[in-house]
Order: sequence, then C-alpha cells, then structure tokens
Amino acid sequence: MASGAREAVIGRTTRVRGRVTGDGDLLIEGNVEGDITVRGDLTIAEGGRATSTVEAGAVTLRGELDGDVTASGVVRIEAGARVRGDMQAQSVSLEEGAEFVGRLDAAFELPPELGGAGETRGRRR
Amino acid sequence: MASTVIGAGITIEGEVTSDEDVVVSGTLRGKLVAKDSVTVEHGGVVEADINAGPVAVAGSVTGNISSNDRVDLQNGAKVVGNVKATRITIADGAQFKGNVDMDV
Repeated sequence: MASGAREAVIGRTTRVRGRVTGDGDLLIEGNVEGDITVRGDLTIAEGGRATSTVEAGAVTLRGELDGDVTASGVVRIEAGARVRGDMQAQSVSLEEGAEFVGRLDAAFELPPELGGAGETRGRRR
Repeated sequence: MASTVIGAGITIEGEVTSDEDVVVSGTLRGKLVAKDSVTVEHGGVVEADINAGPVAVAGSVTGNISSNDRVDLQNGAKVVGNVKATRITIADGAQFKGNVDMDV
C-alpha cells in the first residue's frame, strides 16, 4: 500500500499551515507554511514551496524554500530551486541554475592553491 | 498513489487543505479540508474537524466529520464527534460516539 512507508507526501494541491514533525521522510510537492522537523529526509519538489525553518536528515531542494535549514546530512540545492535562508549541514551542494540567498555553514575542501590542507570548517557569504 | 500522504511517523499540527485526496496514517491535529476523499488508516490519528468528499475511517478521529458524499466507519475505527453526510455506514467493530446528520 502506498501509505505503508514511513513517508509523508504533501501533494501538489495541498497546503499545510502548521508544524510538521516526525521520524519519516517528507516530500513536498505543494505548499507548507510552518516549521518542519523530521528525522528522515526532506525533498521539496519542483513546484513545491515551503516557508519553514527546517531540521532534517538529507535535504534536496528543487522548489522554493524560505527559511533556515539544519541538516544532519547533505543539502542539495538543485537547478531551478529558489532558496533564501542559512544552510547548516554536513555538506552543501549548489547546482548551476539554482537561486540561493543566504549563508552556508558546512565542511568543505579548499583547493590546495588556497592553502587548504584537506577538510576545513568554513563559512561563506 | 494518493496525492497527499501523512505517513505513520509524521505529525502535523495545523491546517491541511487539499484539492485532491488525503491519506492519514500518522497524526494530524488541527483542521483537514479536502475536496476529494479522506482516508484515515488503521493507526492513523486525526484530532481535527474533517471537511471532505468521501471519508473512510479505520483509525481514530476526534472531531466532526462533514462530507458531501459518504462516510464509512470501518472495522477498527474509533470516532468521537458528529458525522454529517448523505450516506453513512458504520461497520461491525467500529466505535462511534456522536450524532449522525444525514441531511434529509
């Protein structure tokens, strides 16, 4: 059965105004206004939109997000995404074609010519 | 696959509105408005008024259910609240406390 998995889907025409919490994954194709705290992964699909402070595992953004993200895994901001907020994660990837306004706080590897010896913790504005 | 699924591990506190169908296997507190069907699965908990098309309940609902179609309280359902619909079934094994309004 489709709903057997510990997964939540906010469909295209669905609008949530309030808090979403849980230990499963969350896929947003519709609209969420409110804080999101999930132990699983969060995906905002193309056309999806969230105005939320997010705490999650891995976060994949293809839609719109207005709010800060704290992820225990990786954050991927993919092409077509429009993101405004600070990202704190193990690592953050920003694809060409994504719009992003905010601060990145993640471990990244500096190229040797910048004096980076392996992994450092850095901030970029 | 249903368009909106509130999975077993998920809790939503607030208002959910949808033009399509909604399946609740997790917990929803607040308000639920759907133009299409609402299904509260076994283990699902809704503490909210439901306003929808066809409503099928196998889980727990505390709140009033209003449907422009039918309401089915299935085996295992536990419903506390008033039910308003044109057609209503209450299965053997369903618990129900509230008023029924079949709008005749």
